[in-house]
Amino acid sequence: MADPDLDFQTGESGASATYPMQCSALRKNGYVVLKGRPCKIVEMSTSKTGKHGHAKVNLVGIDIFTNKKYEDMCPSTHNMDVPSIKRIDYQLVNINEGYMSLMSDNGDIREDLRVPDNDVGREIETKFEAGDEFMVTVLSSFCTLEPL
Amino acid sequence: MMAAVGAPEVITQLESAAKVLMAPPSMVSTEQRQHAEHVFLSFRKSKSPFAICKHILETSKVDYVLFQAATAIMEAVVREWILLEKTSIESLRAFLLTYVLQRPNLQKYVREQILLAVAVIVKRGSLDKSISCKSIFHEVGQLISSGNPTVQTLACSILTALLSEFSSSSKTSSIGLSMEFHGNCKRLFQEEGLRQIFMLTMEVLQEFSRRENLNAQMSCVFQRYLALANQVLSWNFLPPNHILFATQNVTLKPTETWREALLDTRIMDLFFTVHRKIREDSDMAQDSLQCLAQLASMHGPIFPDESAQISYLAHLVEGLLSMINGIEIEDSEAVGISNIISNLITMFPRSVLTALPSELFTSFINCLTLLTCSFGRSAALEEVLDKDDMVYMDAYDKLLESWLTLVQDEEHFPRGCFVQPAIQVFNSYIQCHLAAPDGTRNLSVNGISSHDEEEINELQEDDRELFSDQLSSIGMLGRVAADHCIPLLTSLLEDRVTRLHGQLQRTQQHLMASSDLGSVDRKVLDDLYEDIHWLILVSGYLLADDPQGETPLIPSEVMEFSIKHSTEVDINTTLQILGSPGEKASSIPGCNRTDSVIRLLSAVLRTSEVESRATRASLTELLSPQMGKDIVWFLRRWAKTYLLVDEKLYEQISMPLSTAFGADTEGAQWIVGYLLEKVINNLSVWSSEAELANDTVELLVTLVEKRERANIVVQCESWWNLAKQFASRSPPLHLLSSSVQRSLMKALVLGGFAHMDSDTKQQYWAEVLHPLQQRFLNLINQENFAQISQEEAVKQEIVATLEALCGIAEATQIDNVASLFSFLMDFLSSCIGLMEVYSNTPETINLIIEVFVEVAHKQICYLGETKSMKLYEACLTLLQVYSKNNQSRKRSDATAEEDQYQDLLLIMELLTNLLSKEFIDFSDTDEVFRNQDQGTPASSRTVSAADVVLYGVNIVLPLMSQDLLKFPSLCNQYYKLITFICEIFPEKIPQLPEDLFKSLMFSLELGMTSMSSEISQLCLEALSPLAEQCAKNQKDSPLFIATRHFLKLVFDMLVLQKHNTEMTVAAGEALYTLVCLHQAEYSELVETLLSSQRDAVIYQRLADAFNKLTASSTPPTMDRKQKVAFLKSLEEFVANVGGLLCVK
Repeated sequence: MADPDLDFQTGESGASATYPMQCSALRKNGYVVLKGRPCKIVEMSTSKTGKHGHAKVNLVGIDIFTNKKYEDMCPSTHNMDVPSIKRIDYQLVNINEGYMSLMSDNGDIREDLRVPDNDVGREIETKFEAGDEFMVTVLSSFCTLEPL
Repeated sequence: MMAAVGAPEVITQLESAAKVLMAPPSMVSTEQRQHAEHVFLSFRKSKSPFAICKHILETSKVDYVLFQAATAIMEAVVREWILLEKTSIESLRAFLLTYVLQRPNLQKYVREQILLAVAVIVKRGSLDKSISCKSIFHEVGQLISSGNPTVQTLACSILTALLSEFSSSSKTSSIGLSMEFHGNCKRLFQEEGLRQIFMLTMEVLQEFSRRENLNAQMSCVFQRYLALANQVLSWNFLPPNHILFATQNVTLKPTETWREALLDTRIMDLFFTVHRKIREDSDMAQDSLQCLAQLASMHGPIFPDESAQISYLAHLVEGLLSMINGIEIEDSEAVGISNIISNLITMFPRSVLTALPSELFTSFINCLTLLTCSFGRSAALEEVLDKDDMVYMDAYDKLLESWLTLVQDEEHFPRGCFVQPAIQVFNSYIQCHLAAPDGTRNLSVNGISSHDEEEINELQEDDRELFSDQLSSIGMLGRVAADHCIPLLTSLLEDRVTRLHGQLQRTQQHLMASSDLGSVDRKVLDDLYEDIHWLILVSGYLLADDPQGETPLIPSEVMEFSIKHSTEVDINTTLQILGSPGEKASSIPGCNRTDSVIRLLSAVLRTSEVESRATRASLTELLSPQMGKDIVWFLRRWAKTYLLVDEKLYEQISMPLSTAFGADTEGAQWIVGYLLEKVINNLSVWSSEAELANDTVELLVTLVEKRERANIVVQCESWWNLAKQFASRSPPLHLLSSSVQRSLMKALVLGGFAHMDSDTKQQYWAEVLHPLQQRFLNLINQENFAQISQEEAVKQEIVATLEALCGIAEATQIDNVASLFSFLMDFLSSCIGLMEVYSNTPETINLIIEVFVEVAHKQICYLGETKSMKLYEACLTLLQVYSKNNQSRKRSDATAEEDQYQDLLLIMELLTNLLSKEFIDFSDTDEVFRNQDQGTPASSRTVSAADVVLYGVNIVLPLMSQDLLKFPSLCNQYYKLITFICEIFPEKIPQLPEDLFKSLMFSLELGMTSMSSEISQLCLEALSPLAEQCAKNQKDSPLFIATRHFLKLVFDMLVLQKHNTEMTVAAGEALYTLVCLHQAEYSELVETLLSSQRDAVIYQRLADAFNKLTASSTPPTMDRKQKVAFLKSLEEFVANVGGLLCVK
């Protein structure tokens, strides 16, 4: 379970995980799949080979889970995969052996997510121990924190 | 005199300190280093160190100590000047000179420093007349005549040091004397000393140029004197009663006393001779050519009359021609020669140029023509070789610029004298840009063509901007020789288009057989594209100008050309050629009887048609996006000038042009339709080429931004289809970049204000704007909007809507503002709601603020009171939400980049835009809204601009740290904003909370004292209204106290510091109002300043000047007339005593 990949893969059922988009229509701060990883686009530039060549798009993305950097280049007319990303807010009810109990707006409880092993995770634990009430935003099944 | 008692100890101490300073960093500690520095500093400050310094110079072996001793002498002489006996100064100077003469092996930096000390002594003494300058020139003259190269070099160093000291420039040493002193020295020097240096230099050059062969050492001396001559000729001559500070590219404007020296033809001849002798040495050639270029720039009182100027120029041109003719120009000569030509063409009046003997003038023009063509070819070669140093390109640019100057003044010259040269230069330009066999593009010297595909990034400018200066000149020359150039461009372009068409067809067949794109040889295609690229660029620059903000006119040469041939033209055939871009022009019967101007446009349309057909045949991948850009760029430039040509703007109009493109002509209608199809096709085919899409949508905006053109556009069915397609956000338009979408929206809105019957108009808006509103409302009113708002699809929809709103605001014109304002207002409040929803997405927040910025920017100046108030209210709410969200927002400040503060910049822009209404207001009586609302009475006014802006300032001020002011865009916007506020709402400033008030005052002071002059000026402008405000109110407010502080700052700035003269007016106005407010403090400042003067003469001059300054305005009152009088006196004051107190 240490691999956050699994969290991503099992996140949503039914909905397609990606959809195609023309490369030139991608935007900075938007999302794209680079080398099989869902990334947020942090840099986008174009270039061409020769004065009469067609535009190519150079993309730099940051993996939304691992923060690893990926780069890619493709003709601007090509289609790239864009990951479907969902954000759901849950209220944190409990932490049990490293797993969180999360309650959604409609009262459903899920207990399949670990407290992440990073700064956000530690912040969650500290806040929880301090008795704060707060929401946890789950991004396609992994955590980022938004204190309430 | 102080004996050298203890001298050995001092020397030992200095020498060990020098050792520390010279040691590598790892060997000594910082403290040791600082201590050593301190030793030297205090040594240089010691009283009368002359004896010990002499002793050091004579005994020490450490160069650095020698250097410091020289410096100490220089500083002490200046410091103790009045106390010293003139004879001892004289002997000191003699000692230093002899010292250097006797030690030829001194380190260069030590020698230069000692000579500097000599020069400073001479300069300091020159005004006292205590030390005669003449003696030093006499001595130097003797050194020169010694014939010993080492001694001659030394003499040159002395002269160079004198030149730097007297030039009163950045090279001059600071000796703690007033700028007036420096200026006076310089003025005296340029009448006497400088000319003597020049004459001495000429003697040396004369001597050397006579010698047959020079050894290395001699030619080194030669080079130094040549450089010195260049320095003299580049002297920035001071006009009387003026203290100028350094400017760049000084032209030669000597005073009358130089007549004998510089009008002597032997001097100019000498420089030509010198250049001939050394031209193969690239370093020296640069100096000799620069000397000639300075001589070619000579102007001013040196010429007693025009005939003197004419004979001077004639001699110069003769010399130049005989120098150039018969030699093969070296690479290192190109720039220098073009500078000579460019200077003489710019500096000599046309009447003098035309007064040259006609044969000489013709030879000159012919020579210039050949030179231009030759430099052009060499420049092309440089590009092929991808050289770093593009000397020929620079030289070519210079010459083309000179041609432009000449041709623009054509009416002064004999009729038609530039036609043949223009043809030659034009032809050679075209030739260099076309591929073989017609041209020589990419051919290296040995005739082998190179073709490499380099990576080009998006930052590289397009040729049309990169070479816009060259293209403007070539276009202008093309107009001068329109008879030749327009038909030439047409036939070349038609030929290339036919070939492109054939090549694409062949490639298509090849692809049907193999279907592998990789197997296509792109070389032939790329060559054709590059040819077409340049032909279209030149055609565009020839046929039309692109003036910003004005209606461009058809160039008179083009109009005359078309009129001249209109009798030979068959108008029907011309229209037929124009109307059938799909056919080969030459296949149309009678094609040689067409109007050439229309024919050239037709050739571009044929290019466009081949491109469009290729896209329909799925050959887009083979096409060149660059060529696509060129085509729409040309069509836009052309349409602005020619489409629906307005006959009222011209004295005479060509029949073919008015028949083809005039109002109510079939031709105009056809071409609008054609252009529209082109735009629509491009937007769907080229959505992946951002720049091409951008150029395309700009063409569309051009088509609809003029009502007359828009009227035709909206009659086209395809326009309506485009509108519907865009409104439904369906492919392919939604793939376009956001800036293109924004402009597209702008175009669609502009089109909506064309002439249509009311039903049609209603229908149009129903198609264009209502879907936008509907989709938006449907989305945000969904029950679960809060939940789905972060989904990508939803976000994209929101972003697209916001972009569209910006586009709509950009389309605002005076006659549509009423309806657009109402439409946009409905959105603004919903947008504020989105601020909460997207508080985590800065880019969306920025876009929301941008909508407000655009609405305020484009519309506020037209809005009447009630409408403005609505907008103010909306902006206030926006600011409130922004402020609330901002409190919880974290910014990663450590490595923050400018774009992280985009929101702050936008907020300031919004506030500035709101304030701008106070300056620019076109809304007299809500006239544009006449039938809409009958204005609510002013008493019910709820929100004022002041409320909004001050609320905004409350948010902005605490966020603007000094670090943020380092970002130029933030800094400029911030100061623009606070100046506006002080000017418009000075009464609100005292009401600010204390800390805000303090930080505002601090910002003003900071801006005044340590920012660019532009910002300093803004801050000064803010002070007058603040002072006036104070005068109206209580006298002990914090603002009153703050203005007292500003009085001192402005006073110091004007009187004591070297300030930018452009700022005198702003500073003067501020000073005057501050003086009115604080008269006692002002008197005190003047008193303090006067009492610090020890020199009685200066005291009196200053006291008189201060009296005169306020004489016309005593007692000072805030009265316009008095203020103007004060400003006038201030100007005199600065000219009179400004240099007295400003010390260097």
